[in-house]
Amino acid sequence: MAKAMLFGSIAAGALALAGPAGAQRAAPLPWKEDPFPSRYHAPPAQDMLLKGATILDGAGGRIDDGDVLIRGGKIAMVGKGLANPGVREVDARGGWVTPGVIDVHSHDGTFVLPLTAIDREASDVSETSAPNVADTWIETAVNAQDMGFDRALSAGVTTIQILPGSTPIFAGRSVVVKPVRAPTVWGMKATGNVQGFKMACGENPKSWGADDDNEGPTSRQGVISYMRQAFLDAQRYKRAVEQARAGTGAMPPRDLKLEALAGILAGDIRVNLHCYRAGDIAAVLSIAKEFGFRIGAVHHATEAYKIPGLLRDAGTCAAVWADWWGFKMEAQDAVRAEAPMLERAGVCVMMHSDSAADGQRLNIAAAKAAAAGQRIGIDIPPERMIKWTTSNPARLLGMEKRIGTLAPGYQADVVLWSGNPFSIYSKADLVLIDGAVVRDRSRPPGEPVSDFEIGRAGAGQ
Amino acid sequence: MRTMASLIALMVATPAAAQTLAVTHAEAWTMEGAEPVRDATIVIENGRIVSVTAAGGVPPGATVIDAGGKPVTPGLVNGATQIGLVEVSGSPDTRDDASTDERTPGYDPSRALNGNSTLVSLARADGVTRALIYPSPSRHAPTSGEPVFARLRDGVDILDRGGIALYAVIGGGAWERLGARAQQWAALRKLLGEAKRGTPPPAETDRKKDKRRSGGPGGPRGGPDDTIHDVVAGKLPLAIQTHRESDIRQAAALASDLGIKVIIVGGTEAWRAADMLAAAKIAVVLDPQVNLPLNFDQLGARRDNAAILTRAGVSIAIGQAGGAIHANYNAGMGLREGAGIAVANGLPYIEALRAVTVNPLAIWGRGGGTLAPGADADLVVWDGDPLEPSTNARSVIIEGRQVSNWSRQDMLAERYKDVR
Repeated sequence: MAKAMLFGSIAAGALALAGPAGAQRAAPLPWKEDPFPSRYHAPPAQDMLLKGATILDGAGGRIDDGDVLIRGGKIAMVGKGLANPGVREVDARGGWVTPGVIDVHSHDGTFVLPLTAIDREASDVSETSAPNVADTWIETAVNAQDMGFDRALSAGVTTIQILPGSTPIFAGRSVVVKPVRAPTVWGMKATGNVQGFKMACGENPKSWGADDDNEGPTSRQGVISYMRQAFLDAQRYKRAVEQARAGTGAMPPRDLKLEALAGILAGDIRVNLHCYRAGDIAAVLSIAKEFGFRIGAVHHATEAYKIPGLLRDAGTCAAVWADWWGFKMEAQDAVRAEAPMLERAGVCVMMHSDSAADGQRLNIAAAKAAAAGQRIGIDIPPERMIKWTTSNPARLLGMEKRIGTLAPGYQADVVLWSGNPFSIYSKADLVLIDGAVVRDRSRPPGEPVSDFEIGRAGAGQ
Repeated sequence: MRTMASLIALMVATPAAAQTLAVTHAEAWTMEGAEPVRDATIVIENGRIVSVTAAGGVPPGATVIDAGGKPVTPGLVNGATQIGLVEVSGSPDTRDDASTDERTPGYDPSRALNGNSTLVSLARADGVTRALIYPSPSRHAPTSGEPVFARLRDGVDILDRGGIALYAVIGGGAWERLGARAQQWAALRKLLGEAKRGTPPPAETDRKKDKRRSGGPGGPRGGPDDTIHDVVAGKLPLAIQTHRESDIRQAAALASDLGIKVIIVGGTEAWRAADMLAAAKIAVVLDPQVNLPLNFDQLGARRDNAAILTRAGVSIAIGQAGGAIHANYNAGMGLREGAGIAVANGLPYIEALRAVTVNPLAIWGRGGGTLAPGADADLVVWDGDPLEPSTNARSVIIEGRQVSNWSRQDMLAERYKDVR
């Protein structure tokens, strides 16, 4: 965890001012520039006291009959029998309170719903003109009117990382959003996270390379060597930038692909790695070691349960499904019990969706995984399961001091559930983002939230 | 905590031969009323339910399964899945779900059904004992072929009954060779109309001898032509996989014009035609997980589709639950999760249980699915509410025998559980 902190906690957009070195240099590090800054403004916060709920704080703690005090958009206090300082009081007895759900693997806004021939022909999920599209920023494709955002919010999801797809090996930068209504993605774009990036190994990139007319490796070994060569090139570029900043060389011309990879090597950009098989994961972890960077999380990671020690030692998390399996060869050995197995082995593990449908039920995914764990004698209590959808994903995003935990000073991204959040019957009664009520189930929106759904028969439930 | 592994070990030691079983201390959801029988003893002999009695006795010599007060339900029935036809969906050489024959409207999946598939054993471990297995679109638009019923007993042979229906798909962009949906409807009407006008059924000598393909509603069967004749004779249903309200109303018009039985599969916008469907006695096999439109035909997707239809008096079953991934790869979990979601969105609990037991069997013309005396002894002992994804199936009994509920996933997890 200490290792993880080295990479965390610095806002990508504000880095020119972040450290002494940065402050003294005229030229900011090119990979730290954000050409697409956030225009998100937290909606007006309401102070409130949630009284008498079962609280899972996201970090492993549980309080029965507990209270949460929210003031100024932040968590002020969590405990039992809190005095009301004169704010709105919500009777939460019978309900459960948790941090808002965080989904670190979404294609909302780019995997278009409804899908038409237009997007089947040319999808925004991945730029597929080359195996290396490290220069792309997925946010420049995200349609803020995707109704997937609204469904996620209704289901208690308060933070979403949108990743590019897994066709390219270097697929580009991710964006972290709050699923609030806004005309553009930049009105949703979170701040305070570490810039994310997507890489992929295994069947997807090699299949693409093997297709006619595509350039790119056609085998696992080809994909791995392609990664190494790209990082070698980036290493050279990064040295040149550093030398120029130290006054011992000329600044190399900007190169959008090289600078993104240099940002990874510098620890300023965090890799989200799409990988299934144990050998694939191990090979890319070796590359990370060779080039001196840390991979934030292996996504899908169907065979991570076979190599928990490698992930633990690398400080790399696993973002997993409960029950996606079998649809391709590298997904044959998936097990539902993976999350509890990794949890017990001391690996930072989280649930992820990859789907607007399953993204509405990440806690249910956790419940399925825990049930499968029980079949082999692993019991994980609710207060630890909730980490898989709150504080652990917050850590991957570099937001572990801001969201994902109910503790004083944290942003008030909070859900009051109608019951146990791991029950299929429970619903998000009240959803707060930055202390603002963004969904109240007793007062549903009078009209569809997304522009797409307005005026279309039957849409919007 | 007693682990499933120890339960399985017990189970493997039990002889698989026909036997007398007694499930004791069960919360028995017999599906005969809206409430379970508490502390029930369920006696099973020769593959049939003998009795369900509160605090009943155990026959001498019976193998006892103590349910410990937990729910026992009839075996779950998936109303539409493709387990046994699909192994690795991304790899066509492991799929047997569709015909490429351009001249024949039929495809009989019974000749491809594979009980040894890992998808089948996982569905069984999740409490599914029977399922309607449907073919994917063929190259003879707009038909796919003839769904079969599977019974997930141990071993390769899981065929229960072939020739259950004729299956067609109608929708926007559903067919490359038949573009607009009016063309699709015209082609379907032509196929059925020709059969209706009396092309004679194939000669008796062409017909198959397989017992499980005989004795059904249409008598001995010989493939797609027979099926089509049985459909236009009103003996077998025509299943139409479609979603948009206009198509659902077209399906009802077709049923009325030709005097045939129609089942809607998918039916995302069926709630918009609920009263009409109830009046026409058209059942709907649906996925309660759908609340987002994958395409324009599904713009009206909403979570209370099942509740609205049931309230209007439409018979519903759950199938294709969870879409592309879960409909096959989690044919049991997806079914339970779908039923749970339906309950969370207004469907009464007992109706959700019906939608995964008696209803799919009734809709597809099989019957049963209860724990009534004389019923097929397909049942599941759960460790909690079967509609909660956090619940495990503790014992699965099919045709009166305990079957394995230890999947390949469990074996892998068991193998690696102590790796650190």
